[in-house]
Amino acid sequence: MNDNTPEAVPIGERGPTGPPLVLPRGKTESVARLVTVFGSLGVDREKRVHYVFDVGAPKYWEAFVAASGPVRSIVSEVPAAAWYERELHDQYGIEITEHPDLRPLVFHENWPEGVHPMVDAVNQVPWASREYKFLTVQGDGVAEVAVGPVHAGIIEPGHFRFSVVGDTVLHLELRHFYTHKGTEKLFEGSFVNAGAMIAESVSGDNCFAHAVAYSQAVENACRAEVPPRASAIRLIGLELERLVSHISDLGGLCTDVGFSVAAAYAARLKEFLLRASADCTGTRYWRGIAVPGGLRFDLDSEKVLGLSQAVSLAARQFADLARVILGTPSIQNRFETAGVVSLEVARDLAVVGPVARASGIDLDVRRDHPYGHYKSAQFEVPVTHYGDVMARAKIRIKEAAISARLIQQIAGALPIGSVLAPLELDGAMHGSSAVESPRGELFYWLQGRDGRLTRCHIKSPSFQNWPAMPFAIADNIIADFPLINKSFNLSYSGCDR
Amino acid sequence: MIFEVLERSLQQPNRVIPVEALLGNCAGSRMPDVTAARLTPAIAQRLVEVCPTAAFSVAELGGRPCLKLSYAECIGCGRCEQPGEGAVVTAPRFTWCGLPKANLVRLWDLESHTEITPPRPNPEIMRGQIRSLFGKALNIRQLDAGSCNGCEAEISALTNPYYDLERFGIHFVASPKHADMLLVTGPVTRNMAGAVKNTYDAVPSPKLIVAVGACGCSGGIFAGSHAVVGGVDAVIPVDGYIPGCPPTPAMLLTGILEVLRRRTVR
Repeated sequence: MNDNTPEAVPIGERGPTGPPLVLPRGKTESVARLVTVFGSLGVDREKRVHYVFDVGAPKYWEAFVAASGPVRSIVSEVPAAAWYERELHDQYGIEITEHPDLRPLVFHENWPEGVHPMVDAVNQVPWASREYKFLTVQGDGVAEVAVGPVHAGIIEPGHFRFSVVGDTVLHLELRHFYTHKGTEKLFEGSFVNAGAMIAESVSGDNCFAHAVAYSQAVENACRAEVPPRASAIRLIGLELERLVSHISDLGGLCTDVGFSVAAAYAARLKEFLLRASADCTGTRYWRGIAVPGGLRFDLDSEKVLGLSQAVSLAARQFADLARVILGTPSIQNRFETAGVVSLEVARDLAVVGPVARASGIDLDVRRDHPYGHYKSAQFEVPVTHYGDVMARAKIRIKEAAISARLIQQIAGALPIGSVLAPLELDGAMHGSSAVESPRGELFYWLQGRDGRLTRCHIKSPSFQNWPAMPFAIADNIIADFPLINKSFNLSYSGCDR
Repeated sequence: MIFEVLERSLQQPNRVIPVEALLGNCAGSRMPDVTAARLTPAIAQRLVEVCPTAAFSVAELGGRPCLKLSYAECIGCGRCEQPGEGAVVTAPRFTWCGLPKANLVRLWDLESHTEITPPRPNPEIMRGQIRSLFGKALNIRQLDAGSCNGCEAEISALTNPYYDLERFGIHFVASPKHADMLLVTGPVTRNMAGAVKNTYDAVPSPKLIVAVGACGCSGGIFAGSHAVVGGVDAVIPVDGYIPGCPPTPAMLLTGILEVLRRRTVR
């Protein structure tokens, strides 16, 4: 980015074929928050780097620069861009200058050098054997503990390299992308309707948020108006997903401190809601429902009311359970002051979702960038500033109650009418959309032509929040890592894509 | 405080679902079934066109056109129901869990409107057999080879008070070295291929390997991606396949018991 380039404009007001744009000058530190950085190819297959910022307005701001040559890193001004630029380097082979760490992020040792799947056609990638250097911490009594990729529980794979002195963690280095499936590449060439199925498989426990974010991006690109009934049902699905996720998280936190009775209680509540979902929609996780234009099929209003009653019962029992859990002294002892994410770290790394709100960042896509039925919904956004495991637990407990209330409000007053609007797919399309998933801001950016996608980028909240983990675990004992990790509740697959 | 939670738990009714009600249950999975009488060549052709993972295909068998449905590929998206015009319905029961891959394929003759799938060696777990499968411990190590975490969520659910896997003597262990069975989810990604092989090698023989989910069975929606090697059997040998996207806890249990049954009841 050089200085004579014009200011950024809100997404949608100027297409990607316009002149190069830059991030809003002078706003990087105080107001602007990095949303994502990603690459694309222009009509002439020229590489581009896109920057998306949240500048405190309902519309996101987007900038892009041509990247036929090297691109200067923005990490020194915007530390949150570090992983994004490494990903660009891997996937597009874009040379990034002044980046402090350009080791491969996405591609592991068995990928040969010079393979850039987002630029070149890649069918058969030869197997290679490269070296990956972990950061080493030296000094008296420093030991390394390597964990993963295969972990001890029923969880996703990732590698953690701890440098410890005794029990205390000095440094944690993350090595992820074990579940990298080339998902963004899979979107290329697929029809917009088929894309919803790929989006659902990015992060299975948040599949509805992904399907809605993707569908909204297509709808924005086609300027389609989703019928009110469809957007109301989408809200119910999104809030239910949040409720289930938060119940599951609190149960997981209890598991990690050995409070198994409470964990089993939370697991029962979660299962109760999944079964209620299956009764209402035919699927436990709301898969195959949201599609570009609205919903693939309508839900029976009576059954939605039944689901809402189940939600009301589960939310009451969850609130009661949460009160008991938080009142337990041994829980307080483990949750409080563990895994603190300071406001400074949270801001620098642009963390999102409950992790951000527990560290004093007042941020919620539903309120700040309203979409669908949230434009008219009334709800609070809880924020606290301690930044520890307890703060994240409390944020989730409060949000669960708010989600349940929203579901009951909307289910009691479902608009009538169709649930699917026709899409005008002819010609070039370019759109984006964000959703507040249970883990935080989920952003889809796509472009295509005549109903087929040429590019789809996914900013997942987990990709954004993982780099904050090493800061949260530093100075804690290594035995608290599972607890702190659970309190972030990050998706490996969502991050790795 | 723990007594307060215990008190609340004790106030709850017993939620445990009897095993007989779980076997073959597929509620919430949206796996398809075909009503042969309503099948026409035109409908079959539409099913092939609409299926995102090529689970449906039209083949010739003995000179007669057939519709083929391979559950290994099916992601239960439900997109075949409408163009199926009544010939495709959500399966009320589903017992294609834990079988060898060849047995996940069903065939219908499009001219005679009949199912011509070769019969399975042992159609279903018989009620009398169930008890004989229990009373022995089964240690399972779950291995994520690149899954989206949907299968993990459902496998975790097996331990909740509705399914209570421990009542069957089945439990999840932390190390492959303690395991009798590997429950492998996800398409095997390039980045996980080495770790999957290492984990397989670490399980002492004799061992049972079960591929879980559409991705584990065939690569699912990720089949063909440059970053994915394939289904689980592209890397390690597999004894039984549990389809679904994700398979529900009941389908998982059905599949685990089916694999166990084939090993113990011959």
